[in-house]
Formats: sequence, structure tokens, C-alpha cells
Amino acid sequence: MSHIDTVAGQDLREMFSAATSWLEKSSADIDALNVFPVPDGDTGTNMLLTMRSTMEEAYRAPDHSASGVAYAMARGALMGARGNSGVILSQVWRGLAQGLEGKESFTAADLASALQKSASIAYKGVSNPVEGTMLTVMKDAAAEAQAQVAGDNDDVISVLEATVNAARDSVANTPSLLKVLREAGVVDAGGQGLYTIFEGALRFLKGEMELMRLRKPQIIVSELPHTTPLTQAAGIDEVPYGYCTEFMLKGEKFEPDNIKKRLARKGESLIVVGDDTAVRVHIHTLDPGNIIHWATGLGTVHQVSIRNMDEQHRDFMEMQKERMPTADTAVVAVVSGDGLNDVFVSLGAAAVVHGGQTMNPSTKDILQAVESTFSDKVIILPNNKNIVLAANQVQSLTQKTVMVVPSTTIPQGVVALLAFDYEADFQTNAKIMEKALSSVRSIEITRSVRSTKVNGLKIKRKQPIGLLDGDLVAVGDSDFDVINKLLSRLNLKEAEVVTIYYGEDVEESEPEQIGAGIREQHPQMQIEVIRGGQPHYSYIISIE
Amino acid sequence: MTVKIVTDTLSDITSDLAGELGVTVVPLYVRFGEEVYRDRVEISTEEFYRRLVSADTLPSTTQPTPNDFVDVYNNLAKGTDEILVIVVSSKLSGTYQSAMQAKDTVAGKCRIEIVDSLSVAMGQGLIVIAAANAVKDGANLDKVTDLARRAVSRIHLIAYFDTLKYLAKGGRIGKASNLLGSMLSVKPMLTIRDGEMAPLTRVRSFNACIDYIYNFVSGFSNIELMAVEHGTTPDDADRLVERLGSIYPKERIYRSVISPVVGTHAGPNVSAVTILEAEKG
Repeated sequence: MSHIDTVAGQDLREMFSAATSWLEKSSADIDALNVFPVPDGDTGTNMLLTMRSTMEEAYRAPDHSASGVAYAMARGALMGARGNSGVILSQVWRGLAQGLEGKESFTAADLASALQKSASIAYKGVSNPVEGTMLTVMKDAAAEAQAQVAGDNDDVISVLEATVNAARDSVANTPSLLKVLREAGVVDAGGQGLYTIFEGALRFLKGEMELMRLRKPQIIVSELPHTTPLTQAAGIDEVPYGYCTEFMLKGEKFEPDNIKKRLARKGESLIVVGDDTAVRVHIHTLDPGNIIHWATGLGTVHQVSIRNMDEQHRDFMEMQKERMPTADTAVVAVVSGDGLNDVFVSLGAAAVVHGGQTMNPSTKDILQAVESTFSDKVIILPNNKNIVLAANQVQSLTQKTVMVVPSTTIPQGVVALLAFDYEADFQTNAKIMEKALSSVRSIEITRSVRSTKVNGLKIKRKQPIGLLDGDLVAVGDSDFDVINKLLSRLNLKEAEVVTIYYGEDVEESEPEQIGAGIREQHPQMQIEVIRGGQPHYSYIISIE
Repeated sequence: MTVKIVTDTLSDITSDLAGELGVTVVPLYVRFGEEVYRDRVEISTEEFYRRLVSADTLPSTTQPTPNDFVDVYNNLAKGTDEILVIVVSSKLSGTYQSAMQAKDTVAGKCRIEIVDSLSVAMGQGLIVIAAANAVKDGANLDKVTDLARRAVSRIHLIAYFDTLKYLAKGGRIGKASNLLGSMLSVKPMLTIRDGEMAPLTRVRSFNACIDYIYNFVSGFSNIELMAVEHGTTPDDADRLVERLGSIYPKERIYRSVISPVVGTHAGPNVSAVTILEAEKG
């Protein structure tokens, strides 16, 4: 691989020109990553349009120095910035220009310090910086560039390569920083766009033009489990989102920071960037007229764009519906405990209703969850015998077609959800899922609330007791003791998988010990220990 | 003159079977770092899977060049004037493009038809076998092309995956992406729908996988061809054959090993069952 010490202004222009073409190939894919109500309905398109304006100006640069080209890029970006992501991107180029100030060409060290500048200026433009967005990606990428240079790496290509890799990892990590991304199971669109631009620039420097023509950028897939369902993230509440308002203000003696302060309380997602003669404003507001009116008092207003976000939201919901692989049927589950919530969502439940033993959700709660899904056909998993009835009530209260698969325990709910067949229709799926209920045995361990005599068992208050498929059949001195008594009642020769979900009050080490104990006695079985986080039951165990 | 059939290595038509059927198999390329191998030709499936599991970086794959197809067409054109090419799903690989581009360069000498199998592995392979059988029975190019095109919608493939990691990294996961990220250890089962990977369901053990496949296959009253293949787990494939033997004669089930190029995207421990449903009426 060739070693590059310095990059000239012309190459700077060429590399980001190539990066723009590279971005263009995936702008539609990036659009599809959008998660409302994170600002912008079309991040990929906005970033592409911003880059086009950036590069048009770059070709009009007064000279071919790195500094001249970078300043032209910054100017072009500011003039043509579209959407939240475009405005932030314009700040990235502004930082780059400041970092390369006065340079004919740049070295790896120059690049690293310019990227650092990009990161800090990008953060400054946003009134409430949010981590897990392209800001974070810019920051992480810049930090890696610094680290490379600090480690005496002076090859522009390998420094940029490490920077691009750091950007990619940062993009993959965005869902762990930002809940809405996790809920939708996607990475941040702006971060993906920024990564794609840097990746394109790197590929150009590496001379991979032919490959760039044939291939297209990959959207990064996060391996993080989804946590709460998309439908809950999108919501059904008719909260007005207002208008996404953008404009360019031209004049003289502007103080962008003052403008930002004045607008701070006028709406959400405020970004104000620019200099004393040109300022770009992006804000989500319920009253765009008021803001534009105020702005015309400061200077001339250009490129005004006011978009109704409620409309955008509707379009987004429609688009999501089309993209749902199983738009046909949604599953709603009743679950308590954050761990169990995550288990159900990670297995594809479209919505989760909080509830379970001693905290039965109302019919209305379940109805709301059913209405919140994108599908017209919904299967409900009550996961508790006291909730089945409330779930059945939902059928008569909604326009949607609803079936209840009467799961009475969490393990039954899990096997039913697992059995969901993506190729089968609604009726068939309900049948398949109901049939699956009998393929699992459920053990639940809890404490007796009073002294009593049940099924021939003498039980003291607060003593560990065990239920097998809902029947109280064992009592013992410890949870493990009760679990063993219950397991001994089962024919474990046929069993393949034992899953132990431990509750919120259980000590971390105990479940592993119990798992190891079972594994010792039944080495042929696959044993999995998972934090269910459920109240009341110290253990819920599924035997399949 | 007899129609000559061409396919690519993703069809999982092994060289023995290819010889028997009189089929020419064009290799794709698999690359570990700087080393490039022709699929199945320069790297054996055993060697490939050993390296797949141990290598630090995942291998990558490349379609055959148009030139690879030109060579094959020119060679075959010496002995025939009719060629049928059955390639891997155009949504999974650019092989279709290469085959098409090559076709234009040999225009005139020989009639060439290209069929997009909209499938992969034995989903593609069974179409090749059905076509080769028809050629043996004397079908001409028009007839065998029509037969292959009609077979595309009667192919049903079910694959059992150990992990979707490789599919996701290779960008071939399609709509099966919503089986990613499960908190429980579950094994995804996928099919191919409209030429792309699509989710079927999840199972927690190979026994459950066998049950699922058995039930699925039992739903077909008339099966023309069946294949069972594996990546690194011949024992799993044996168990599938044993169980499916009660539905379809065991000795007629085609056995194969998933090619390195498919293995690059599917990972090890994959098993797949494919059937070609018989035509109705």
C-alpha cells in the first residue's frame, strides 16, 4: 500500500467529490433509517444535497490550496445546507477549513487537528447536543485520528483508514446511546451518512475508483438487541410535531450565539450556525410565521423551507408499514420486568404491555397496545391466567382483527412467540402459536404470603414455594431446593433447553450456580440463564 | 445439437454430479485477504470452512467476470449451438450480469438463454438438475428454458442457521434482519423469497428444526426433486435425510455441501433442505 505524506488542495476536492458520489449511492438507504421524531424525514437526501452544494462551491475556489478549497467547501455547505444533518455537516466543513487555515497541502497531523476542530464546531452549533448522533460519530472519528497521529503515524491513508473504522464502530454503537434508535433497531442516519462520506474519501485516496463504481456503501447493522418496540417509539398519540422551519439569513454584524439565545424557547431541535454575514437556522416550531417575521427584522431571509412534520410523520408511518416484513400480523405481549420485556421485543413482539401477577393490566391498556401496532391483525399473549379475560375483551373494542393465544406463563409466551412463522397467515399463526403452548413446562418460584396448607403441603409465611404450570406443588428451604423438587417431577430425558429467568431481587451469582447445578445433573441439556427482572417471582424457568 | 447447460458454483452442483449431468460449472471467487481462490476449484469446501472459522478477517467473494463466461460460451460453442445458463439469484450476486454481458460478445455463433434462478445453493441446483434431465430426454433450448423458468416458482428452500452474523456482515441478510438480535439463544430458519433471504421462524434446537422441516415438506403432495446439504455438519444432514426418508425415497435425495462462496455469507453449521414441487396437472 502506498504511503502518502501530504494531500494537496486539488486532491482534497477530488476525494470529497468522490465521497459525494459514494454517498449518493446509499442516500435512499440512509433515508430509510430515519426514526421519527428525530428531526428530518430524509437525512440521506439532505446530506447528499448539502454535499452537492459543498462541492459545487469547492470547484469555484479562488485557488487550489487545501485552505482555499476547504473554505470554499464550508461556504458551499452553509449556503446549501438542508435539514438538521446538513447543517451539522456544514459545521464539519467549517471546522475543517479552520483547521487547514493557510495550508497549501495537509499532512496526517494537520488532518487530525482539523477533524478535532470539526467535532468541536459541530457540537457548538447545536443547542442541545444529543449523543448517539452524527455528533458522536464525528467526535469518535476525530479522537481516533488524534490517537493515530500521537502514535507517530504520518501516513494520511492509514490515519484516515483508522478514522473511518472508528466512525463505523461509532455508528454501530449509536443504538446503545440513543433509545429511539434501539427501539427501532437501526443506527443513526446522520452518523451513517457522515461515515459514508469519510469512507468514500478514503476509498478515493486508496485508488479504489473502479470498486466504488461497482459497489455501494453498506448500511451498518447494529447487533444490539431491540429493547422496546418500534410501535411504542412511533406511538399513536396525536402529539403535534409542528413545522420543520429552515432559512438562511444574510446581512451584516450577525451574532449567531445571540440569535440562538433568542430562538431557544421558540421550539425544538434548534440549530443556528454561520458567521457575521450569513446565518443558517433550523428549528421545529408550532409558529413558523412568528420566527420568519422576527428574522426579517435582522436581515434578508433566503431559502425558506417550512415543512409540516405531522404530514412527514404520516408518510413515515406509511413507509414503515411497507418496510415491516410481517406487516400482516403483529404480536402484543403482557410482560413485567425489564429483562423479560427485552426478551419479548428481541423476539419480535410489536408491543409490550406492562403487567403480570398482582398487577393485571386493564383491557384499555392492552387495547392501546393493540392500536399502536402497524398491523390490522394482532395476536395477544396474556402470559398470565388472570389476564386472559381482559385480553379477550379487546376483540370487541377494536376495528382490528384480534386473536388471543391463551398463554398463562412467561415460558408459554416465549415458545408461542418463537413459533411465529413469518410465511404463515394470521389464522395459521394463531394456531401454530397455540399449539406451541403445550411444548413447554413452566416453573415459577415465589414466596408464600402467609402460612397455609395447600395440596397437602404445609407452608410457612415467606417460605419459597414452587408452581408447576400454575399449580402450587412444592415448598422448600431455598429456591434451589424447590427448583430441584419440581425438576424431579418432570421427565427431563426429552427436554432440550432449560431457560432460567431470574427476578429483580435475586443476587447476581445465585442464578449461575443454580444453572450449573442443573447442568451437572443433566449434561445433555442446553441451559441458559437470563435476567428477567420480574417482580414477585425469584425464578421463572422454562423447560422445552 | 444437444443443449449445453451452464451454471455457477453457487448451485452446489459438485464436480461429480456436473460430470454425470453434463453441466458446466463456472466458479465464483472467494478471497481471504490478498489470496483469491476459484470457488470449489482452487479451494476445497473442507479447507474453506476450516479457514472461515479460524481466520481473523472474514473472506469476501466476487462474481465471475464476463470473460469467464465468454470462455465457457466459446468452448461450448465448438460442440453446440444452444446454451442454457442458470445462475444464482440476481438479487444476491452480480453473476447474472456477467453472464448477460458475456452473451452479447458471442452473439451470432450460438443461441444463449439465461435464467435467473431467484435462488441459491440447491434451490438453484435442483433447477439445473431438472433442466439437465429434460435435455437428456431430448428437449430443445426453447423447451428446456421454459421448463427452467417455470421451475423457479416451485422451488422451496429452508435453511437452518447457527448465526446470522455472516449474512448481516456480508450485506445479504435481506428481510431476515428482523431475526437478528434475539436475547435468547435461538437458531434462525430462513427461506428465499423473491430472490432474497427472508425469515421463516426461530427454533431452539436442531430437533425442533427437523420437526419444522418435516412438517413443511409433509405439506407437499407431490415432490419432483429433493436435496439436503450442509456446510460443516454432515451429521445434521444425515439426521434430516433419515427423517425425510419417510416422505421421499432416501436414495433419491441429492446430497451436497454448501459452496465456499455461499459459506462466506452463511457461515458454518448451516443445513438446508430444498424441494422442487412437481408441476400440477
